[in-house]
Parts: sequence; structure tokens; C-alpha cells
Amino acid sequence: MSSIPWPFPEALSPRHLRERLSARVLRWARKRQGLDPHTTTLTSRRIYILPTAIGLIFALTAFAMLLGSMNYNNNLSFVLTFMLVALGFVAMHQCQRNLVGLDVSFAGVEPVHATRPLEFRIAVHNRSKNRRYNVQVYDGRIVSDIRDIPAGESRVFRLEYPTRQRGRMAVPRFGIRSNFPFEMFRAWSWVHMDLEALVWPAQASDVPPPPAALTATGHRQHDARGEEDFAGLRGYSDGDSPRHVAWKAYARSGELLSKQFAGADTSSQWFDFDTLDSTDTERRLSILTRWVVDAELLQRDYGLRLPGHEFPPAHGDAQRQACLRALALFDEKRGS
Amino acid sequence: MSRRSGTDGSLLASLPWTLLALAFSLLPHVPFLPIWITVAFIVCAGGRWLVELRRWRLPPAWMRIALSLACFIGVLASYEAVSGVGPGSALLAIMAALKLMETRQRRDQFVLLFISIFLVMAALLREQHLWSLLYLFIALLITMTAWLQMATRENRRLSDSFRTSARLMLYSAPLMLAMWVFFPRIATPFWAVPIDTSAGTTGLSDTMSPGDISSLSASDALAFRVQFADAVPPPRDRYWRGLVLHRFNGRSWTGLEATPDWGARKRIEYLGEPVAYTVTLEPTGQQWVFALDIPYEVTLERTFMGPQQQMARAQPIDQRIAYAAVSYPRYRVEHAAGRLPRSWYLHLPENSNPRTLQLARELREQAGNDQDFIDEVLRRFHEQEYFYTLQPPALGRDAVDEFLFESRRGFCEHYASAFAVMMRAAGVPSRVVLGYQGGEWNPLGNHLTVRQSDAHAWTEVWLEQRGWVRVDPTAAVAPERIEDGMSGAMINGSGASWGLNAPAMWLHNLTLTWDILNAQWNDWVLGYGPDKQFSFMEWLGMDEPDWQQMVLTLIGVVMFLVALISLLLIRRYRPPATDTAAQLYARFVRKVGVQPARGETPLEYAARLKDSDTADPQAVDDVTALYLQSRYSSKGDSALPQLATAVNNYRNGR
Repeated sequence: MSSIPWPFPEALSPRHLRERLSARVLRWARKRQGLDPHTTTLTSRRIYILPTAIGLIFALTAFAMLLGSMNYNNNLSFVLTFMLVALGFVAMHQCQRNLVGLDVSFAGVEPVHATRPLEFRIAVHNRSKNRRYNVQVYDGRIVSDIRDIPAGESRVFRLEYPTRQRGRMAVPRFGIRSNFPFEMFRAWSWVHMDLEALVWPAQASDVPPPPAALTATGHRQHDARGEEDFAGLRGYSDGDSPRHVAWKAYARSGELLSKQFAGADTSSQWFDFDTLDSTDTERRLSILTRWVVDAELLQRDYGLRLPGHEFPPAHGDAQRQACLRALALFDEKRGS
Repeated sequence: MSRRSGTDGSLLASLPWTLLALAFSLLPHVPFLPIWITVAFIVCAGGRWLVELRRWRLPPAWMRIALSLACFIGVLASYEAVSGVGPGSALLAIMAALKLMETRQRRDQFVLLFISIFLVMAALLREQHLWSLLYLFIALLITMTAWLQMATRENRRLSDSFRTSARLMLYSAPLMLAMWVFFPRIATPFWAVPIDTSAGTTGLSDTMSPGDISSLSASDALAFRVQFADAVPPPRDRYWRGLVLHRFNGRSWTGLEATPDWGARKRIEYLGEPVAYTVTLEPTGQQWVFALDIPYEVTLERTFMGPQQQMARAQPIDQRIAYAAVSYPRYRVEHAAGRLPRSWYLHLPENSNPRTLQLARELREQAGNDQDFIDEVLRRFHEQEYFYTLQPPALGRDAVDEFLFESRRGFCEHYASAFAVMMRAAGVPSRVVLGYQGGEWNPLGNHLTVRQSDAHAWTEVWLEQRGWVRVDPTAAVAPERIEDGMSGAMINGSGASWGLNAPAMWLHNLTLTWDILNAQWNDWVLGYGPDKQFSFMEWLGMDEPDWQQMVLTLIGVVMFLVALISLLLIRRYRPPATDTAAQLYARFVRKVGVQPARGETPLEYAARLKDSDTADPQAVDDVTALYLQSRYSSKGDSALPQLATAVNNYRNGR
């Protein structure tokens, strides 16, 4: 849809004004409600309701029909008109009731690498004996599916936020809304849970091979299998032996990688921020991230050394989480 | 632009209901619409359904625009107007059909449902029978179900939408009723809009030609209802005077335009006891007001008596109206022949009905006086081979001659006409009165129902010293017609050739009940206007209600009902109460001010609290133990009071 450019200062544009107004309303709602615990029951005090465009058209229709009925002095069309008006009233209350008493709780979020969407999960539980219709969780333009919640059941709604850079991703609030029954009204409630998720650095796509079998700890392992020792992964390039392709890693990540083998002696690897060639911090972080992920894929011990942090070699989920977290939050004051 | 693809079938679930709603709303209009509109709608609706089913494409824009133009011109050509109920509903039907052709998404369906609601409203403007109410609610139920079906995102069950809309309508009904009762009615419309009342509304016309009334007699339609204050006059006195015809052109009779004559009442001498009654008259589109012969007073506004003692209203009766009236069954009219324009009542066209004229003159010669002459003519009708039938043969130019000497079969208008002509031929002033005779007494509802089939024509002759005297020649032929009313004549009538069987008794009672229902319906629902509303408000205890008071009451009652509905919904949607132990524990958590983490058990939580400096370890232990006991032990309830005390006494800090 093409649009005519707004001829006046941007600050006066309807969109801008609307955004400022909604920001104000949001601040007000937060001040009024305070911070919510991670399981919040929606009470009628915190549910707001406004007519939708369809509701306004409906009201206009009813008004036109009222005039018509008065003009024709037709008692049956009065019946129809008042029935519609009454349905409007009932719809308003029904719409609000459709949200009241729902339990909203945070159902977790998994950290992701930057540029991957971050998926916050919100569980909504309906303890009452009535089905709740057309429920949706949203945050501005980010919306979940619209779903019904049958009596006594829960549904998990997903909010997908795009991510651009590593760091913390905070969701100070989200909304939950419904337009049931006739889409004449929209009832919503703000939930302020101060949710937060970690965004790991993006994985660099073309990485130099990781440093092989450093012996910084002084601990050496002898291995009789000699050249079979695996040292790390690097991007596949023409001429690499197919025998050396890391098929397992390919199956997981979809990228062709070649295994690198060190000499007979190997030990845990050290990934050191300071030894990387690049001068770009972010680039270095994403290379380290890639190395950590790859090493983890191959179940290989690794250590990570960042300015101010050091993670001794290990592998497993705890190690991975700790390293990626440190990478995500490296030099946190920067920018974000 | 990307290539326009076919529909995606996303409307499959909701479209049938939208189509059903539209079809149902359109149904009552079908008999009044040109056939091509109905056909166009059916084709479009069926077509649209196929398009969705087969994932075809919708017709291109140019075709839709061309179709719209063609249809609009079609409506113009059919109606020569675009306002009014007829063309209005035709346009709505066309709009619905064309909108279907471009319905892609839910938003378009909203438009269709709005059209459906407007069609229902138009149907109500057209007809307001008792069953119209039922129709209204069913149509609304279907429309609202379609609406819910459309607003549905998940694959919801149809019965669920249906139940929900029925429930919402049930909640709305009392609210609607309150608004309906208390919303102030106004007497006069803001602007005049032509209403075409149901086509084929029957009633008396301003002229009387042979065959006019007999066509009416086949109509079962209601003319008016009457409620009597006291005793009900016997059938033979139930002459409902309408209009008076005095001009005769050899074939048909015409009368004066409805014009007031302020002296008309003075020329009547009222005798005997008055009869008081209330008439509820169906709309006729004419000015004539029917009253028992002969009216003394009619309470209808802007109503007057004409020079021939006929009652008329200044403007046509387009709506059902009720009026109280007083009549005197015994009277003398214009018996002092001062200003009687005799030439009016003696005029006969030249060269018409020569045989009748000759016969009349001969009979008058033989009779001693006017009264004897009248009796002689009536006796001839009674004794000779004259038949009372609703299906008389067609008559030519000299209608009276043909009737009297050849066909000898006729209905009230034939006899009245022939009789009046014979009177005039013999020099007796005469005129024809059109109105209704009889009516069916409904003992269950205590009212008299007068139908179009009770339409009747009789004559009045002017006699020296006695003035206008009513003579009903039909009574001479078929006295049952007068004694028992129309249905009596049909059942027992000597000449009734119309094949109506005597209805079974229960059917008769059913008819009576239906008639009462309709009477109440007309009275209380359709006739609920300013007057009824005021009297109802007074009955409710308001002194001198005015519209402000009514609006305040309206707001009050509506707010009360809305609160009631809200309460009902709150009850429905309230989650089951959590148990007391959990509530007490929640209070404890609030007092502590630290939220348990997700998945943290009470014991873990207690341990965490004790590690922190804020909580009293002993109190935390007590509360936790009591909570666990009351929650999970078999004799848990006995620990509740202790738990309550422990939580109440709990203070933060060591």
C-alpha cells in the first residue's frame, strides 16, 4: 500500500502522536500496577477495554436504525434496534470477562544467537469452568497466535522478537488481549514481568581454525592413535578429504566443516580473545562463539579466556552456557 | 502486482452461515421483489460457495463494476425510485449479491452481516405480524452465529458458536425489553417516507361497481376490532357506517370526497340508549373512519362528519389507530326535509337500465305509498328467484337490468345498487352506504373482529317525516347474512355456492385464540405508542410522566440490568476458590515480601528465608510446618486455625 508522505513535522504525524500516547499509557499502567510476579492473575481492575472500529460501525448502525424506528414508529424495528444495543452491552461485559481470572505466567525463553528470533513463552491458564476465546499475547507489533483456552486448561503463547546484537534482551511488559465475542470491543491487560533473555553473539561463518591443542595448563595427554587426534573444525574448502568432513556437525548445523587433526599429542584447547588476529571486538567474539559451539558439538574440552574472565577447560552444557553467557555479556556497558 | 490467485478456502467455515443469514433475511422480501433480483442473489450466493469450495478466482473488477451498474439500473427500471422499503430492500439484496462476488476476507463478511441486519429491519417495516417477532429473533440468531463463526480463529465447533450467540441473546433480551418499554415514543415522524404497506391490503374503495365487494369477501384480512364498554349490540344492529355514495352512472356508484360539514350532526336526532366502544382500525390508506350507525362522537383527532353523516379523518390512515366512539343505534336523520338536495338523490343517467326503471314505476303505481312500495320490492327479492352468491356472473353496461331480469344472482352490492335505482326511478330519494356489517364475536377476547369479508353495502331511502331510513335489500334475500354475519351466511346461506365447509369446533376455537393473540399483539406491541406508554408509566406509579422522567428511568433500569448481567458473567467466570491453606500461605508470602522461585517447594523456600536476614527462622518454620500439615495431612483442617494465627502473628525481622 503506497501512502502520501506526511506534509507536516514528523512530531505531529498521527503515527508519532499515537506512539507517544501509547508510551504514556504504558508508563501510567506500569506505575499503577507495579511489577508483577511471574505468575499473575488478571483481575478486572487491570483490564482495559475500548471499542474497535467494527464496534463503532455497529454503534452507528444501531443509531441509524433507532432513527429509522422512531421515524416509522415501528415497534418491531425498535425491538431489533434495542436487541442490537443490548447485544453491544453484553458483548462489552463478555469481552472483559473473557480475560478476567486468567493466570499468566512466564514459561521461559531459550537464549539464541544474535539474528535468530528470540522466543518468549507465556503460559496462560484458565482455571474457570468457561472456555476463553480468541486470546492473544502481544507486544506492540509482535503478536502470538490467537487461540482459545478451554476450561481448566493452559495454552502457551509465543512472542518472537527479532534480535540484532548480542547482550541482554529485556521485555519490560507484554499485553494479553481478546476481542471476543463480536470483535466490537478489545479488552487487554498489561503484564509487567521484566522478562529478560540472553542473546549470544552470532556465530561467525568463516572462521580460522581454532588453536590446536595448546598446552597452557602444562597438562599433556599422550594418545597412541597419533594423527587420529582431533584438534578442531574449520570451514570446508575444496580439496579437503571427504573423510575429514564433520558429518555429525553438518547434521546439526547444516554447515560443511572439515575436521582438523593435531599431531600425536593433544589436550584441551584454549580459545583466547587476545590471541585472535582481528581487531574488531564483535568479530572476535563471534569467532570465539563459533569455536565454543563447534567444540561442544564434538564433545571436546575447551577453555575460554576473555579479558577479565577465564573458564578452565571442560565441556558439557554448564561450560557451554557459562562461556556463551560471558561472550554475550562481554564488556556489557558497551552500547546496549 | 502479483498474479491473482484463487481463494484460499479460509472462509469455508464461516461462509455457509453468512449465506444462510443473508438468505433468511431476504426470505420475507422475495414475494415483493422482482424475480430477477432473487435469481441474481441465488446465483451469486451459489457461485460464491463454489468459488470457495473449488478455490476458483473471484470475477475481475471490471466485471463486478459492470454488474453493479447493470443491477442498479435494473432496480431503477423496476421501481422508478431508490427510496422506500421496496426499492431499498431490492438494493440491499443486490448489494449483498455483488458484495459476495468480492468477499475475500473477514472484513467483507462484516459488511454482508450488516446488510443482513438491514434486510431484517426492512422486512419488519413491511410486515409486523406476530410471527415477525419469531422471525426477527431467528434471523438475529443466525446472523450472530455467523458473526461468531467468522470471528473464530481456531477451528471451533459450530454448536459452540450457536450456543454462545443464543446465550448472549438471552442475556440481551431483558435489556432490550427495558429499553423498548421505557424509550420515549413520539407521535409524529421526523420526515415522511413512503411506506408501501403490504401489497394487496384490502379495504373498501371510493366507488362501488358490481364485483368489488365480492372480491373483498374472499379476504380473511382484518378490517378492525371493536371492544364494547357495556352490552354488545345484536348482529342485526352491527352496521359499521363508512362512506356514502350517491352518484350513479348506470353501472357504478361514487360519492363525495371526504369533506367536513359542521352542520351534519345537527340534522341528526339521537334516540334511545347510546353504545360506547373502541375501534382498532387497520391501516386503509384512506380517510374513512368506521363507526356504528349512527355515530355521535369519535375521539380520533382531526376527524369530522361529512354532509352524509359519514366520518372521515383529515389525512389518510396509514398506521393502525385506535379510537373511542359513541353511537346511537336508534336515530332520525334529516327528517325535516328542508335543505335536502333532492336532485342528488333522484338522479339517474339517461338511457340506462330501462327495464328496471319501467318495473319500478309500475310497482310504485300499484303501491299506495312509498313504504308499501319498498316492502313490495323487498318482497320480490325475497320471494322470487334471487340468489345470494359470491360468484355472480359478469354484468354488462346496463348492470342493474341484467342483474334483475337475467342473472338474478348477486351479492350485497348488486341488491343495494338495484334497490337504490328502483327507488330513484319511483321518485324516492336513495343512496348507497358502504361499510361493514356484523363481525365475529370473540368470547375469549371479549371483542368483535370485523374482517374484510364483512364488507357490506346497503341503502338508505329518504321518507317524508322519517328522514333517511336504512333498508338492507340483502337481508330480504339472505337474512342469515345479516343475522349471523358473513360466516353464518357462508355456512347456512341459502344461495351460498362458495365452497366453505363448516369448520370443526376446535379449529374455530383455535382461530378465536389466534385472533385474541393478534388483538393483544396489535394492542400492546404494535400499538405501544405515546398514549399507551404514558398510561403504562402512570400504572407504574409515575405522576404525570414526561419524557425526561422516562429517559431517567430508562437509564436507571438499563444500568441496573447491565450490572445484573455483569454479575451473572462474574459468577460464570469466577475461578474456583483456592483452598484456605493456600490463601493463608499466599498471605504469608506477601508479608515476607519475597516471591518463591519457580518450582521451589515450601521447605526450600523456608530454608532460603532462614538464610536471609529478614525472616524470623522460628516463625518461618512454624508457618511452613502448619501449612504442610493443613495442606497435605489427612487431618489437615484442624491445623488451619493455628496456621491462621501463625500467619497473623508473623512479623518480618529477627
